[in-house]
Amino acid sequence: MAKYLIVASRDLMEYKESDFALSLASQLKKSGNDATLYLIENGVLSARRGSEPSSRLTALSKEGVKVFAEDLSLKLRGVKERAEGVAESNMDALADLILTGVDKVIWY
Amino acid sequence: MAEKPKVVTIGIATASYQREAPTTVLRLTEKLLQKGTHVNIWTFEEAVTLTNKDQKDHQEPPGLHEVAGKQHTYVGKFVDGIMKAALHSGALKWVVCILCVQERGVDAHQMNGVIIGTFADFWKFANASDQLIIIPTYR
Repeated sequence: MAKYLIVASRDLMEYKESDFALSLASQLKKSGNDATLYLIENGVLSARRGSEPSSRLTALSKEGVKVFAEDLSLKLRGVKERAEGVAESNMDALADLILTGVDKVIWY
Repeated sequence: MAEKPKVVTIGIATASYQREAPTTVLRLTEKLLQKGTHVNIWTFEEAVTLTNKDQKDHQEPPGLHEVAGKQHTYVGKFVDGIMKAALHSGALKWVVCILCVQERGVDAHQMNGVIIGTFADFWKFANASDQLIIIPTYR
């Protein structure tokens, strides 16, 4: 089992390739790996409770993918209520993940 | 014996005013350095202009002074600051691609501490790193 970190920095609604990032996280988990999806910059827009893609994030978390949204990115965009299954994180925690928590980082 | 520091290499092609990525890289680099990590930054394409030493703060339009202040700063100022902070530790290497700086006319305008390098440096960084992060540019 490998540990993967997918950092999603783009607005998932704006970029069609975002489907690939979400599917990759799902498939990695289903293949027996540890998968983390980390939303940052415009990636956190999808974490807003009630937004169209937020249901996919909730579904991913129910599959066992760990889903985080970075606190400053949320604050700058006024996202106060996060979708179910999306946990708030911060840059310190992201640095820890990169250093000790995962085998491979994929930045999208 | 002290534990060997971890090494993280970050590749970025995005300049100021394009996307938020340079700011994110700086924030992440600061955290990694605080944790004792050695960080290599490899910049190419437009990102080599981040370290153009001739950038300046500029004045905000008078009508915005009350909401935005009088001066507008630039990301390169923070790159310069983080390089100076890490200068004596040797924990941060900031390399710009030689072809990219020449194409953009900024090869003689790089901040102190910036290394003008080649893809060979990137290859060495990649091989010697515990983590390699490539931040793609996009439109």
